[in-house]
Order: sequence, then structure tokens, then C-alpha cells
Amino acid sequence: MSQAEHDPSPYAVKHESGMWEDKFGGLGPFKPGSGPRQDPFGEFPTGPAIGEQLPDIVAMSHTGSEVDVHADRSGRRAVVVFYRSAVW
Amino acid sequence: MQDHIKNFADAGIAVYALSYDEPDALADYASGHGVTFPLLSDPNSEIIERFGILNTLTDPDDHPWYGIPFPGSYVVDEGGTIIDKFFESSFMLRPSADQLLRAALGEAVEQPRAERTAGASEDVTFDVSFDGQMLNAGVVRDLVVKLNVPQGFHLYGEPVPDGMVATSVEIDDQVGLVVNAPRLPPTSPLTLAGTGETLQVFDGDVEIRIPIAHMTRGVTEDDAGNLVIAVTGTIRWQSCDVHTCQLPRHEPFALSIPAARHNSPRGKDANFSEHFAKMSSRRLPANE
Repeated sequence: MSQAEHDPSPYAVKHESGMWEDKFGGLGPFKPGSGPRQDPFGEFPTGPAIGEQLPDIVAMSHTGSEVDVHADRSGRRAVVVFYRSAVW
Repeated sequence: MQDHIKNFADAGIAVYALSYDEPDALADYASGHGVTFPLLSDPNSEIIERFGILNTLTDPDDHPWYGIPFPGSYVVDEGGTIIDKFFESSFMLRPSADQLLRAALGEAVEQPRAERTAGASEDVTFDVSFDGQMLNAGVVRDLVVKLNVPQGFHLYGEPVPDGMVATSVEIDDQVGLVVNAPRLPPTSPLTLAGTGETLQVFDGDVEIRIPIAHMTRGVTEDDAGNLVIAVTGTIRWQSCDVHTCQLPRHEPFALSIPAARHNSPRGKDANFSEHFAKMSSRRLPANE
């Protein structure tokens, strides 16, 4: 999907704070219709399907130790959240 | 999430959260917010790419935003199989902890309900409620439609036979309201004796969940001065027994859901500037 295929949002409103408001009223640091504020209503990838094995995740954690999700959960049910950032 | 972590721990459910942040940025976040579950670091977005959920709406040159995933969560069972998932196209939305806990438990998490509206139409009764007490900006929660189908009757699921009406819930469009695809229960097959045709039907108690969210637009004051978001929609169904079908029904409903107008306030964490600068520069070519 190329950037040019997206319509610019007609709701782009810049606030005095410098933040941009989108059509849902969400405030963000960049203009709606650009970058991650585009609206891919319809198809967008959501990764492995329900019924598949969760792929291995081995990563450094905030404590500085490596965590292997499947080993760490040791037979427990688990929720794995992918989110944008802890910084912004 | 941290506010709800005890509920997950009590239920024996492990929680992990992964982002493209560096471990030191996650450490500052964890200490600032008292996070006790593992925050995982994927600074080169390798895991995000391997999962196939890299947010392709950001351009590779668009530092520092490039590398984030489409936000979502996977729920896995004891064997590691994905049993549910919740994904959003907008990076501003996130599922509620209740939705994740319910999915992980595979059962209802009983919540005090904000408001409900109910009715009956011929033989089928229905009930519409909001699962939770409050709809905060950016958090996805469920509108719950329950239909009770009397014994001996069924409602149609998809695919629907010619001329019949499938069970559906439609939420009216309104500025500021985000409505995700309804989550319907599985249908069961019903083979008609006369024609041998097999239909996909619902019977008994049918619970349809429609994930909704708002980003502050659309929130208004009700007569008592409380902030609410008014949600209206229509439930459609057609009930049949093995011999005859009732006329298709469409029942409008309206709910007024308590809402918070603001986005959750988000203060800057320790060393924000350093973390953000590192994030902005880490993918730049060395000589740029």
C-alpha cells in the first residue's frame, strides 16, 4: 500500500498545543492522513491466525534479562500485547 | 494493563507486552509506572516483522515512527495455540483488559453494566448492554447484544439461505464512534428433513459482541450533566422452526454510555528526550 493511495483526512484540525485532531477527536503529534495516522479501514495484517501456534518470541526485557515467552509462561495461558511504544 | 495485572495473575494467566523500544526506555517506563510484567524489547522490529504485523502506514524514512506494529494482542492457551486475537488499524486504540481477560479465560467476565435496554419480539427476546461502567477515550470495549431463542426455534447465521435474513447487529454511523466487526458465536449445523439442506443456525442464548471505542468526539452531556456517548443501532433476525419462518424482525435500540471526554493523560517518563532521540536516529544510515 503506497502512501499516495490514502486520502488526506478532511478532519485535520491543528490545535494551539501543536497537536492534530482526527475525525474521532484523537490528538496526535502528526497530521491525520499521514504516517501511522492513516486509516486502513478494511484490510490490514494481523499476523498468525487463531488456531495457529504462537511463533516463538525471545527478547530482552525491561529488567535486562532475555525472556523466551513460551518457556517463561511454563504451561500457563498468556496474553501477548503488541503496542506502539512506551516512549510516545 | 498494570491496574488489572492482579486479575490476570489470580487467573493464572501470564502477560507480556512487546514494543520497538530499547530495554533502557522500557526500564524507565516500568519503574515510572510500577510495571511488574515483562516489557519486551524489539528495537529492530524483527519480531514484529516476523509476525507480519509491521505497521505499513509509516514510511521506512519516517523516523522515529517507522517500526511500530499494528496494535494488537494474542491470547494463547496452555499449549501455546492462539485462541483469540484483537487488532486495530489505528495506533491510538487498544483493547480493554476485560476483553483480554475474558478471551483468556474462555468465559464471561461479569461486569457491572452501565445501562441496558431490552425488549421482546414475538418469541425472541433481546437485551442490549454495555460491558463495563465507562468508555474511556481510546479503549475498546464491547456492546453486548443477547438474543434468547425459544426451544425448537433457530436464527440464521451466514451463509443465509435465499430469501432469509441472517442475524446481524448494525451500529449507526456517527462522528467519533469507532465500531469494529461484530463477534458472533459459532453457528451449529441444522439439516432439514425435507430437503436434506444443511443450514447454519443459532439457537438458545445467542451473545453478539460489538467492540466499540471513541476518541472524544461524539461525547455529549445528558440531561443530568453527565458525559455520555449515545449509541444507536438495529438488530436483525428471522426466527424459524423446522416447518415455518416468522417474518424478519428489525429492532432499533439506543444506549447512553458513560464516557470520559479526554484522552488518557500521558506524562513524559524519565529520560524521555534521550530515549526519543535514540529512537529517532537508530535507523538512520551512519553517515547521514
